Amino acid sequence: MNPSVTLALVTLAAPLAAALLSVVIPPIRHRGAPAAMLTLLGSLLATGAAGLLVMEDLAGRAIRATVPWMVVQGRPLGQVGVRLDAVSIPMLLVVCLVALGVQIYSVAYMHDEKRRSYGRYFAYHALFLFSMNLLVLAPDLLQAFAGWELVGLVSYLLIGFHFDRPSAARAAVKAFWMTKLADMGFLFALLVLYARTGAFSWDVALRPEVAEATAGLIFLAVMGKSAQFPLHVWLPDAMEGPTPVSALLHAATMVAAGVFLVVRADPLFAQAHWVQGGMLWVGTITAVFTALLGLVQTDIKRVLAYSTCSQLGFMVAALGAGSAFAGYFHLGTHAFFKALLFLGAGSVIHAVHSNEMKDMGGLARRMPLTAVTFGLGALSLAGIPPLAGFASKDVILTALEGKAGWIPWALLLATAFLTAFYMGRVLVLTFLGKPSPAAAHAHESPAAMTVPLVALGIPTVAAGFLGPWLARGLGGEMHLHLGLTPVLASLAGLGGLLLSLATYLRGREAPLAATVAALDRASLVDRAWAFGYHSVLLPVSGLLRWVDRYLVDGLMNGLGWGTLETGQAMRPVQTGRTRDYALAVVVGALVLMVLGAWP
Amino acid sequence: MTAELGFGVFAFLLVGFPALRVVTSRDLVRTVLWLAVTLLGTAVLFALLHAPFLAGVQVLTYVGGVVTLMVFGVMVTHKHDGTTVAIDGANRVRGALAALAFFGVVAFAIVRTDLSSLTPVETPSTQDLAMALLDRYLIAFEVASVLLLAAIISAVVLARRRDPLPEGAEPADGARLQEGSVP
Amino acid sequence: MTLRALLLVATALFSIGIYGLLTRRQAVALLLSIEVMANAANLVFVVFARYGGAPGHPLVLFALAITVAEVAVGLALVLVLYRRHGDTLLELASEAKG
Repeated sequence: MNPSVTLALVTLAAPLAAALLSVVIPPIRHRGAPAAMLTLLGSLLATGAAGLLVMEDLAGRAIRATVPWMVVQGRPLGQVGVRLDAVSIPMLLVVCLVALGVQIYSVAYMHDEKRRSYGRYFAYHALFLFSMNLLVLAPDLLQAFAGWELVGLVSYLLIGFHFDRPSAARAAVKAFWMTKLADMGFLFALLVLYARTGAFSWDVALRPEVAEATAGLIFLAVMGKSAQFPLHVWLPDAMEGPTPVSALLHAATMVAAGVFLVVRADPLFAQAHWVQGGMLWVGTITAVFTALLGLVQTDIKRVLAYSTCSQLGFMVAALGAGSAFAGYFHLGTHAFFKALLFLGAGSVIHAVHSNEMKDMGGLARRMPLTAVTFGLGALSLAGIPPLAGFASKDVILTALEGKAGWIPWALLLATAFLTAFYMGRVLVLTFLGKPSPAAAHAHESPAAMTVPLVALGIPTVAAGFLGPWLARGLGGEMHLHLGLTPVLASLAGLGGLLLSLATYLRGREAPLAATVAALDRASLVDRAWAFGYHSVLLPVSGLLRWVDRYLVDGLMNGLGWGTLETGQAMRPVQTGRTRDYALAVVVGALVLMVLGAWP
Repeated sequence: MTAELGFGVFAFLLVGFPALRVVTSRDLVRTVLWLAVTLLGTAVLFALLHAPFLAGVQVLTYVGGVVTLMVFGVMVTHKHDGTTVAIDGANRVRGALAALAFFGVVAFAIVRTDLSSLTPVETPSTQDLAMALLDRYLIAFEVASVLLLAAIISAVVLARRRDPLPEGAEPADGARLQEGSVP
Repeated sequence: MTLRALLLVATALFSIGIYGLLTRRQAVALLLSIEVMANAANLVFVVFARYGGAPGHPLVLFALAITVAEVAVGLALVLVLYRRHGDTLLELASEAKG
């Protein structure tokens, strides 16, 4: 077998083995530490394999190794295996690296958990890495769907990890049903594809309306998974999960899977111009709207959650503009600096035992490593050159030039400003200024937590320079240029940051912030979804449950009851009287004679 | 036609009437005796049908053996006080219906079938019969012996008493199950 | 004695036996009715041995043996019935009542 394929299989098999062992052998996860070690080992192997694959540098080639799955009437229903090319390999590395870092971080962060929970946590992580890799390496949309659903499941399990907390349980259910609802789009897209082409590949030429329908349906699922307006409301609530989970799933990898899917299925989306137009606007609106909301949050994780929504909007808009590379590039850089930001936030939360920024302040002095790395992440997110975030954001803005009358370009430029602004606010409230009572006794986090922070800091700064390499792999190119867009983007970032520092260091608030905060509290979108849930989904569920219990079960029970009743009714036939039986014999013989001799 | 009719009357007197008395007689002893008559009548028919050996066997086995057995059976189990048991009224109707239906169906088949191709042939002699038993039908012969043995054994097992009754005591009535009386 | 007449006689005998089978209440009487039926069957065999050459005679002998065996076992059962219930009425043997 091709050595590259072997490496790819390692990235799948190692985490899967860790997960399976933890599941099948209860002592492993009940004792906690063994499960963690297995998961870490699996992730280490996977990351190593991914790294080796990157170094192979396929450059335009694609390796596809599959086995047929479910052969029906001589034809397989789909293919299962791996596809290695310039799209899947970089993502694979990003996922494995961030996962590894988060898992190492978790060793310290989740230290206070009971051993059983600890083991369960790491078992879930192993399952997640396997599922995500399954999605990334998918050779067609069928396997992608499998991985998609699996990561959705793990997300549910991890958001509701502390299932004894009602808010966490509710958040998990909310995330699950909202994304599952959106996933119907994916499912229907698969049906359409199969009906039209007999396979699930994205590499097909379709009639325009079929391409639009398929792409549109897939985008519906993307809106759910990648938290685009108006399906974004589950992401802030998902912060109920442990912070490392928020970093890995709900910032770096899982929510980005939607973006990844569009990049992966680019040949399909390139044929769907209307859908792309829709993506452009949905992404833009999401980016602006959620950035505004991020400005008025008091919980540090919620700020980052809305920020994630906003950045995902950037990516989606770029995809809508037709540049898969722009979306993909930002996906990569975002994974690193957002994970870094979340882990840093976790470090802070761990130190002050609170998510609220009012319980923080002045932590720069007490937690220098965290402060510096977080600061780097913030700067990268804000798009300050020459950090990674700037590079990818610039590529996006460049791709948006001239599209839809420059409006998305302008809006996203403004959002870049807002991004820098709200991150500046976070920096001030968390690390600068006077410490709150809770923060007074904070201290730096243990090495298991700070080392990943530093490790993630490197790509946060430098990943921008990998852009050209990535672009070449995708068949395009990227070069630095000095033009209107990068200059304006830099100014927006710097300006936003400075203005924010100026405002918040002086203890003032941004203009219109009160209005936005009021809007946030009104949570109209959330209420709309809640209404839909309670007025539509639950009644329909109740109806189905009634049908199941009284019609389906009723039918079954009725059959059983009917059988018994019939048996009871037939008991009188057994009179016990010999003469009756003799009569039966005679009559029976008569009947047989007549029937047998019938001409 | 008349020959048939005549034969019909003859046969009725020979076997039909006695058989009717078998199934309708109120007295069990008389029933047994009427059966003996029926069997004798059948033996006569056998003789008329050129099967003298079978007629003889019929008399020996049935009339001699079976009927004797039946008489013994009646003696052991019957209340000798002369009371008879009425034949159930409702059952009479349906019994008659079933019997008539049966007769109707088979008679219909007989009448409708073309039997002209069947003519009287020479029946096997006793010697032929003996040869056949020990030659062609040897296995059936042996099996029949085994069957008779099995019947004897089962009859003995079924009918034996476990414990001996005291002298002159009545057997148990229906309410009480005597221990060991039922194998 | 035509073939048809003989067969009809045998059938009538058999039917009479059926009437007895379905009607009689005494166990011994039932057995006697069955004897009538067996007898009728034997008659048919002998008739066809005469008309058409069917090898009925050996069969009659075997049927005879079987009938005798049946009578023996049947009477033993009647004895058991009598011992259980003090009488040989068939409706006493109703344990198979469902």
